[in-house]
Amino acid sequence: MKLSEVSPGMKVKIIRLGQGFPALRKRLLDMGVLSGEPITVERVAPLGDPLEVKIKGYRLSLRKEEADEILVEVVS
Amino acid sequence: MSKEIVVAVAGNPNTGKTTFVNAIAGTRLKVGNWPGVTVEKKEARLEVGDVKVRLVDLPGTYSLSPFSTEEIIARDFLVKERPDVVLNVVDATNLERNLYLTLQLIETGRPVVLVLNMYDEALKRGLRIEVEKLEKLLGIPVVPTVAVKGEGVREALETAVRIAGSVAKLDGHVSYGEEVEKAISEVEDWLLKKGSAVLGKYPTRWLAIKLLEGDQKVSEETGIRELPDLPMVKHLLSAHGELGEVLAEVRYGIASGIVRESVHKEDARPDLSEKLDRLFLNRYLGLPVFMAMMWLLFKLAFDLSSPFVDWLDGLVAGAFTETLAWGLYKLSAPEWFQSLVLDGIVAGVGTVAVFLPVIFAMMFLITFLEGSGYLARAAFVMDRAMHTVGLHGKSFIPLLLGFGCNVPAVYATRVLESRRDRVLTAFLAPLMSCGARLPVYVLFAGAFFGSRAGTVIWSLYMVGIGAALLLGAILQRLLFRGEATFFVMELPPYRLPRAKYLLVHTWEKTRHFVVKAGTYILAMSIAVWFLFHLPPGAKGLEESYLGRLSKAVAPVFSPLGFGNWEAAASLVTGFLAKEVVVSTMGEIYGLSSAEEDEIPQEFPSHSWGEVFKGLPLAFVEAGRNLLAGLYPVSLEPDEAEASLLSRIREVFTPLSAYAFMVFVLLYVPCMVVLAAFYMEFRSLRLTGLMLISHFALAYGLTYFLYQAGKLLGYGG
Ligand SMILES: Nc1nc2c(ncn2[C@@H]2O[C@H](COP(=O)(O)OP(=O)(O)O)[C@@H](O)[C@H]2O)c(=O)[nH]1
Ligand SMILES: [Mg+2]
Repeated sequence: MKLSEVSPGMKVKIIRLGQGFPALRKRLLDMGVLSGEPITVERVAPLGDPLEVKIKGYRLSLRKEEADEILVEVVS
Repeated sequence: MSKEIVVAVAGNPNTGKTTFVNAIAGTRLKVGNWPGVTVEKKEARLEVGDVKVRLVDLPGTYSLSPFSTEEIIARDFLVKERPDVVLNVVDATNLERNLYLTLQLIETGRPVVLVLNMYDEALKRGLRIEVEKLEKLLGIPVVPTVAVKGEGVREALETAVRIAGSVAKLDGHVSYGEEVEKAISEVEDWLLKKGSAVLGKYPTRWLAIKLLEGDQKVSEETGIRELPDLPMVKHLLSAHGELGEVLAEVRYGIASGIVRESVHKEDARPDLSEKLDRLFLNRYLGLPVFMAMMWLLFKLAFDLSSPFVDWLDGLVAGAFTETLAWGLYKLSAPEWFQSLVLDGIVAGVGTVAVFLPVIFAMMFLITFLEGSGYLARAAFVMDRAMHTVGLHGKSFIPLLLGFGCNVPAVYATRVLESRRDRVLTAFLAPLMSCGARLPVYVLFAGAFFGSRAGTVIWSLYMVGIGAALLLGAILQRLLFRGEATFFVMELPPYRLPRAKYLLVHTWEKTRHFVVKAGTYILAMSIAVWFLFHLPPGAKGLEESYLGRLSKAVAPVFSPLGFGNWEAAASLVTGFLAKEVVVSTMGEIYGLSSAEEDEIPQEFPSHSWGEVFKGLPLAFVEAGRNLLAGLYPVSLEPDEAEASLLSRIREVFTPLSAYAFMVFVLLYVPCMVVLAAFYMEFRSLRLTGLMLISHFALAYGLTYFLYQAGKLLGYGG
């Protein structure tokens, strides 16, 4: 599923990044959003967008349309 | 004397780079812009022992990818200018992500020193970092620092000077793993055999890695679009499709390996940022808290500074001007010269002076918001709303400040990272109706709309916002078509910025305004003085160049409802500052006769006394403003204006008065905004475009309003 569909508190792992937007993809890679990496959605902004996620021990915010490009799976 | 060495300072945003550089260079820091772009460049010249050092602060970046302006500047400097050594400032509490950049810096072939900043916080969070191990794993010197206290800062610089110019050795410490390393050497060999001319320009290994990554910018610059058939390269490509991700993964893999071996978490302390975020980013409370913070920001920026604005105005326009007038009188200077000095030059100085408190207060607050970490949260809360109109969450702050004064609003666009967002926001900020337009509204709305004046004024604020939405939509299509924008933004930990840090930053910015923008403002004030007072012997405004010019252009404004030369003349002077529209009208209608100040026969010691007494009073007043509500705006015209009102009623109709107000709101940003805009973006093209687009927008909207109003029968 997409990261944008993950609800706060769920434990997920990144499977892969979409190829649609090379610049966004590169930025995400540079920020450590890599396949295999565990990521958690911490919260959604009061107006419903963007999201706050925690990855590699730091906090990152991204819009839902950007989170659409990140495919994840639930880890048990 | 030995030759000067160049030390570049690089690192992620929010790692304490600015603090570090300030701690080393202090007041020797010079702030400018990188050539041709809107990114701030900081440099300082110092001496370490008998070595001369030029310290260059590179923009904060997460990577050396070829996408954002900042990243390109940083990598061009590293690769093409080849600094003798790089000081890489990292946040010790977030080492893994920081090391990702470190590895890329090492790749450039320059000697690197790792500045392990925020060491105090790392200790506080129970992290134990084995510095020697880190040095061994990375193969570079590591110096722990606490930049806010200046600890370790000198040592870091001395280490840098010591290893400067040495050949960075990549003796296998940072290896990309067998397969990738093989692919890299294949490309290196191919490049060397090819003997390409580009080889001299780039470090070979770096070039090979970039070509493997499929780096577009490097392909363009070198003309190497494709790699030949090399066995390992081919193998990797067929396995992964592209190697950008592979290299990112390898770098992060190395970084996390290094962190695992050299950083130990002793005990997990509760994270203060997490607790604060539960309030600041709360689903229900986040927005109200944000509003409260913005209200406070606005109030502090403008209410706190307004008594000082008045005091400075009193100082320059009162005591200072009177003293000069007295001096000129004693020297029996010719009258025209007295007028040039007093009404041209000193008035220009006054214009610059009254902005100082506002800019100072605003920069102080913005720096606080930025340094504390709340700014990123504000963007997080507001992004949804701003994004629907194509802006960034952080754009909200400059736009909000615009309602107080457009000048600090232009400076506040600095909080935005991408050039697109900065330019766009700065274009729109002057459409927010600032305090200086209010006297114009009060006069005209008071004259024509009586008890409904309040509603009319409110509608003008809305017109400004509407115009900004419209212009924003147009600009995004014309100027920034297809430019990728994304939000992906770090939410840094909350920190309490130190007073010294705030003051240094604020002072820098304020000085920049005085020195740079001030020059232009002064020049423009003098130019306008000539418009008023030439040709020699002109009687009254009507015969001056200003009058003649106004008469020539007045017909242009006929379709908008105010084709008289008086209106045109006040629009010309309104460029100085919008509230001047009112005083020019007063002057033209011969009511508040052109400031026939008496020439003081004696030294104006009384006025100076007032100035000295006024300063403490300004502090008291600022304190009172803080406690009291918003300062009251009087909608009652005062007596001098009462007679002006009746003259205006003869010349304007309610419809043309409304049209005039809309036009004054939009037609040009005042000259101070323009000077600030030019100094921030250093682009005549953009500055010209702003002038033209605002004027066209104002003309179009006012034309439409006036003609539609006439058709609907609201009188011509
Ligand atoms: N605790 C602590 N805070 C620091 C240190 N260095 C900088 N800061 C704070 O970190 C924040 C960001 O610093 P700044 O210099 O603006 O970072 P830059 O974005 O890299 O230029 C500011 O609030 C600084 O006061 C440090 O060594 N220790
Ligand atoms: Mg900084």
